[in-house]
Amino acid sequence: MAILVDKNSRVMVQGITGGAGKFHTERMLEYGTNIVGGTSPGKGGQDVLSKPVFDTVVECVDNTGADVSVIFLPARFVMEAAIEAIRAGIKFLVVIPEHIPIHDMLHVRREAVARGVTVIGGNTAGVISPGQANLGIMPDIAFKPGRVGTVSRSGSITYYVADTLTQSGYGETTCVGLGGDPVLGSTFDEILLKFEEDDATKAVVMCGEIGGVYEERATDAIRTMKTPVLAMIGGIYAPPGKRMGHAGAIVEGKMGTAQDKLDALTDAGAHPCKTFTEIPKTLAKLGV
Amino acid sequence: MRLYEFEGKELFRKFKIPVSDGRIAKSPDEVYEIVSELKYPVVLKSQVLTGGRGKAGGIKTADGANEARTVAEQLFKLKIKGFPVETILIEPRLEITQEYYLGVTIDRARYKLVVIASGEGGVDIEETAAKTPDKIFKQSLGIEDDLYSFDALAIAKKIGIPTELLKNGAAIIVNLYNLFRKYDAKLVEINPLVLTADGKLNAADSRVSLDDDAVFRHPELKELGIEKRHEEGEMTPREQQATDWGIPYLDLDGDIGMFPGGAGFGIMGNDFIHYYGGKPANFMDSGGGPSPERIAKMLVLLDENPSVKVIFGARFGGISRCDDFARGVLMFLKDHGLSKPMVMRMTGNMWQEGVRIFDEAKKENPELFKHVEAHGIETPIEEISKKAVELAAREGGN
Repeated sequence: MAILVDKNSRVMVQGITGGAGKFHTERMLEYGTNIVGGTSPGKGGQDVLSKPVFDTVVECVDNTGADVSVIFLPARFVMEAAIEAIRAGIKFLVVIPEHIPIHDMLHVRREAVARGVTVIGGNTAGVISPGQANLGIMPDIAFKPGRVGTVSRSGSITYYVADTLTQSGYGETTCVGLGGDPVLGSTFDEILLKFEEDDATKAVVMCGEIGGVYEERATDAIRTMKTPVLAMIGGIYAPPGKRMGHAGAIVEGKMGTAQDKLDALTDAGAHPCKTFTEIPKTLAKLGV
Repeated sequence: MRLYEFEGKELFRKFKIPVSDGRIAKSPDEVYEIVSELKYPVVLKSQVLTGGRGKAGGIKTADGANEARTVAEQLFKLKIKGFPVETILIEPRLEITQEYYLGVTIDRARYKLVVIASGEGGVDIEETAAKTPDKIFKQSLGIEDDLYSFDALAIAKKIGIPTELLKNGAAIIVNLYNLFRKYDAKLVEINPLVLTADGKLNAADSRVSLDDDAVFRHPELKELGIEKRHEEGEMTPREQQATDWGIPYLDLDGDIGMFPGGAGFGIMGNDFIHYYGGKPANFMDSGGGPSPERIAKMLVLLDENPSVKVIFGARFGGISRCDDFARGVLMFLKDHGLSKPMVMRMTGNMWQEGVRIFDEAKKENPELFKHVEAHGIETPIEEISKKAVELAAREGGN
């Protein structure tokens, strides 16, 4: 089992004829992801990697039964593309590009909530259910089917955590990259609760970082969960008031310091880990 | 992208939010010239992209051109939180009887726009919110919602705007909200909105932060002279160099040069170094899918930094491919050369190709790699962090 995407998902790619879209579609296909087609307005009727290309998402859904979409388009086109997908009946949407205007993401989020669609990203490495489907740009090498779920703001952290779980024999059910942009399609609590409902997921590793507000929001979810949650937060030693890379990683006033986040999560019952190697040790202690 | 006060007020003017007639000066002489033409007492306001300038002595009053010049000479020498004062805004001095706060921002956790108002303006609104939350009024709206005048009027009433000015107050709130939506803002604030002795409302200060990622939608900003700018105070020469190269980079006070992949591990890697007893010399982010040229430039920044004793490299290839990473490292080794030890780990997308590139180059010229200790997936990143800290301690002992 897995959350969000599995081997039966019918996946389409918006922007399938573009450079990044095509390159990563090929990689996703090689992984065994069930890609059924894609869109590129004005290029309908063509084939890319033996998959049909459509002008609109509605046509793609009608002809292929697609229910999941991955967006590889320049940031300025993401809002339209996302809303098109949501209205066409896509149930799960992964937004890979970064630097999407914040107001655009607010519109996307509103549309998604109104129609019960889950959106991940932007600025995410994607979502992978090892052995079943790989949506996005994550490197296969880090992942192996198993029993721990992960959810993280950062791609590189996802790889390190998964690699640790893979090397220590736990493996992963699904790994979710929430994304590094300041306003995201989904929040930690929403993904944690999906893991809670998944029987195959025996524990979840959540990795946040300094800045923003999404980690704190997870505490209520963690309090209700039976599945144990391990928490890592990057930026414990970050200099205050400095912008470190991710647009989201800026401390807003007194909120959002890494230590405050870690304390809040620990208080809610999460098990804090400082380094990746502490993850398997903690899992062993919990009897996972 | 944070705007200067005078730029924010320019936008206020476009949205019919009342502001004083202001003039801009870049030198004490210009201040003198402008003030000699004015018939009223003035206030000189340092224009810097940071808060707390009043406390830092960045706002002064003056009567007459001579005094204004003397005051300006002092202001132009000021640095406020690392920002040098390069521009002064000259405005008529207001006789203030009441100060209010108005703001619009985004509640990211709830995906809402929030209008915030208080009858106690002119001070740190976060402090007011923490100490006396009952003095802050908020209204949340969806991104698609208009703010109606009757709602704005209710807000104006709650914060104590006098009855005869309620309609003006409501219009200011609606216009501020419209400005926020029109310009893809992250934050707009009038702090304070003042009531003057002659019974008028005036936006005495402006704070406007726009979304860098949406500036492309607003070419008219450029016509107003508003362009992307650096907002982090004064940069070190290396930070300036990195900015010119488009590399997110910060100088820190340690001795381990951090050469990580994305921002996520860029941030956490610095924590790891601390956990093992070391101190990073910098923060750096390669960005997604960096070219070999960019990788090489990242290394140049570290190699030429005299504080750096050891370089810690980490690459988990996702969208960033290990072969490009290896090519970048090689380009740097050949064109620039490495003058200090580097311990690094490379795994992920295309790692076999990365290893092959290294092996081949090493066979050709082992000398290139004499300072490089390269690891793959077999060595945990914690071990690499530890090694970097140990190496730095050893180098520091020399």
